[in-house]
Amino acid sequence: MAAKQETAAAVRDVEQYKYGFVTDIESDKAPKGLSEDIIRFISAKKNEPDWMLEARLKAYRYWLTLAGEEPAWAKLTYPKIDYQASYYYAAPKQKLASMDEVDPKLLETYKKLGIPLAEQAVLAGVAVDAVFDSVSVATTYKKKLEEMGVIFKPISEAVHSHPELVKKYLGSVVPYTDNFFAALNAAVFTDGSFVYIPKGLRCPMELSTYFRINEKNTGQFERTLIIADEGAYVSYLEGCTAPMRDENQLHAAVVELITLDDAEIKYSTVQNWYPGDAEGKGGIYNFVTKRGACRGKNSKIMWTQVETGSAITWKYPSCILQGDNSVGEFYSVAITNNHQQADTGTKMIHLGANTRSKIISKGISAGKADNTYRGLVRIGAKADGARNYTQCDSLLIGDKCGAHTVPYIESRNPTAQTEHEATTSKISEDQLFYCQQRGMTEEEAVSLIVNGFCREVLQTLPMEFAVEAQKLVGISLEGSVG
Amino acid sequence: MKQSALLVHPFGARYAAALPAADSARREARETLALEGLPGPKREEWRFTPLRGLAKIPFIPAASAEDIDVRDIPADVPRFAGAVRVVLVNGVYRADLSDKVSEAGLAIMEAKTPDHDVHAPLAVLNAAYMSGGVTIAARGVVAKPVHIVSIGAAGAEPAAFHPRFAVAVAPAAKLTVLETHHGLPGQPYFSNPVTTISVGTAGVLRRYVLVREDSEAFHLATTVADVAADAKFDAFHLGLGGALVRQEINVDFVGEGAAVRLNGAYALTGRAHHDFTTFMNHDMPNCTSSQVFKGVVDGESRGVYQGRLLVARHAQKTDGQQLHKALFLSRGPQIDCKPELEIYADDVKCAHGATTGEMDPDHLFYLAARGIDPQAARLLLVQGFLADALENVDDAAVHDILSAEISGWLMRKASA
Repeated sequence: MAAKQETAAAVRDVEQYKYGFVTDIESDKAPKGLSEDIIRFISAKKNEPDWMLEARLKAYRYWLTLAGEEPAWAKLTYPKIDYQASYYYAAPKQKLASMDEVDPKLLETYKKLGIPLAEQAVLAGVAVDAVFDSVSVATTYKKKLEEMGVIFKPISEAVHSHPELVKKYLGSVVPYTDNFFAALNAAVFTDGSFVYIPKGLRCPMELSTYFRINEKNTGQFERTLIIADEGAYVSYLEGCTAPMRDENQLHAAVVELITLDDAEIKYSTVQNWYPGDAEGKGGIYNFVTKRGACRGKNSKIMWTQVETGSAITWKYPSCILQGDNSVGEFYSVAITNNHQQADTGTKMIHLGANTRSKIISKGISAGKADNTYRGLVRIGAKADGARNYTQCDSLLIGDKCGAHTVPYIESRNPTAQTEHEATTSKISEDQLFYCQQRGMTEEEAVSLIVNGFCREVLQTLPMEFAVEAQKLVGISLEGSVG
Repeated sequence: MKQSALLVHPFGARYAAALPAADSARREARETLALEGLPGPKREEWRFTPLRGLAKIPFIPAASAEDIDVRDIPADVPRFAGAVRVVLVNGVYRADLSDKVSEAGLAIMEAKTPDHDVHAPLAVLNAAYMSGGVTIAARGVVAKPVHIVSIGAAGAEPAAFHPRFAVAVAPAAKLTVLETHHGLPGQPYFSNPVTTISVGTAGVLRRYVLVREDSEAFHLATTVADVAADAKFDAFHLGLGGALVRQEINVDFVGEGAAVRLNGAYALTGRAHHDFTTFMNHDMPNCTSSQVFKGVVDGESRGVYQGRLLVARHAQKTDGQQLHKALFLSRGPQIDCKPELEIYADDVKCAHGATTGEMDPDHLFYLAARGIDPQAARLLLVQGFLADALENVDDAAVHDILSAEISGWLMRKASA
């Protein structure tokens, strides 16, 4: 079956990682390892108020009680992580006041990533809060947004400028006791984005952040907090690439979203971190806790993710649907190849009446990869008229990979309706034949079919991302014929 | 294993002391049991079916209770006309209540020791204290079906029993077995049957199971089946109650071209808990498996379906389907469902579906508009919902028996 092998070969191209380079910048590092002293160091470096340090230490002490017991239920195998062998703080040395002061080397890095910062801000109308390693170095469009009352800044700044908001909401959706990695993150998080959209404002531009792991041996612990006040709307974009290296890198981010009455947050991710080489050497370990709380009536949270990178992906963007009539949506494309392992999905917790959720998950597995959808739909006793629709489709390319579906459906309300469907298949010979008969090459046909397979998810992405995502799927299929 | 995964349970030294000295197979199992215990709530396969309630009851071995005296088959046990009836009381074969076997190709023997190792926590408990059981062997086409009747009863103290059933269908042989589980009211009893099944090459086994235990009773059944090349294993399980019922069915495909249908239904009221846990181990190419489970829940009952379908790397051309549909009849019940696909082969067709919800008001309206009162309309719709599941029962006589059982359940519910 030539087509199958060629497609497998094509998807292998994901590994031809365009962004494999390391920018050499002197960095200001904390010593290796994790201890209360390191946490005090991080906190002092950021000049944090005492309450923040206390919160970190509390999380750290809790994390210690877990005695290194990482969650073991996911379908992932990886060597034991030595948390004392990592650096927990690395920041570019210079403090920067404006774009002009940004190190040209950094700017060059962004260029290689395909995001000329200034250009993008002007051309695409996107404000970019770029995170390089752990400290935000440049924020654009700040003024414009500020005038409208939008707060969009590094969380380390928000701690100082808006302590009441940070105190109120940080850890309110993902408490430090939530899981092993959330506890770790709460203890050592270095930076991330803070977004607050005031009442009734529809944020006029897409907000985006590029995460990039750069310093060797640096764990990346981002913390993102987005609050949409009553009637507000925001679309937030997150995309990532990372340099090529041999050692596995740990990433344990926490993202918290909060929507109040009639508010809406759309959170889109394209994740393209280094997946490791063809033998499974290297690659990012990505343990992310993402969760949104629809606290208000008629509020909505929508997660879209395109996951193509990382050696290990452990990620379940979830929605807690507390407000009546609130809506949670999850759209996901996960592509795994070579030795990549992804265990990803969502949780939809229906608590309020007439809450609705929709889950569309597309998993594509090639090479020797394993791709698992793991999801929970829970309908509480008070969620009258709740509604869930779940669809999980898996596509297997080659006979050395695995595709798994593990949905949990727990319903306690008779008036709620849940529906779940899942299929597993390969690209059908008939479809290939049909396309080829009409003059398409095998490669084009495969590309068309796979793009069609993901279309439902890709079309939910904002324009800027949709292009990137389609390209990513495209790249993964390049050179599959001949 | 972490200590928190274990459950302190009543099947320790005190329980063993009430029984005669164990043979080597039972002794080994008791050692394993002492080491591994019963699964606690943190064991993934048991997360929906906690055994805390069971563990709190100081069971004694039913065999050691002298105040239990069952002389007749209860009147509400269905009669399977034309079948060879095999009766067990508290897990012990009762020749006085059973039919003599004179059917060509059919052999039924009393089982004495747990001769198969079955790796499941409840099967270890069963092996440790196996109380008795029967072995059924079929050669050629066996015309007469077999009806196994299991009756549970406790005396002044809660009692437990652990029967073993073995069903062996020789190559090209054909057999139909109906298993019905009942009990007498009173102190809670705990039935812990283990069934090992083997269907030989091109053999056919039709197995029907009815679990209608007493509302205080526990019933945790483990079935393991080996299905050989081109064999057919067709099963239907009906669960109509018990305080805590679990029917766990594990199927191993050991030959190519085998076809398995594993269907079932449950109807629960009060505080009944019913769990269907299935594992389809597709380890051979060109096999098919199909599962359809339907359930209705009322009162404060809880219905569980966990199905795992594993397709090995070399099991190409597998066709595996799973479907679970649950219907709420009131506020208060809970439905938990986990259909799981684990697939390592690419040329397969696998799918699962799951739905939960209440009765469609349009359907009720349709019937009401035709002059049927709402109460009757609801019963009619529930009956229709479950009757649909029974469509998968090929044996006409069994179909009628199970259909009557569902009607009986509806009548009891309507009059409650």
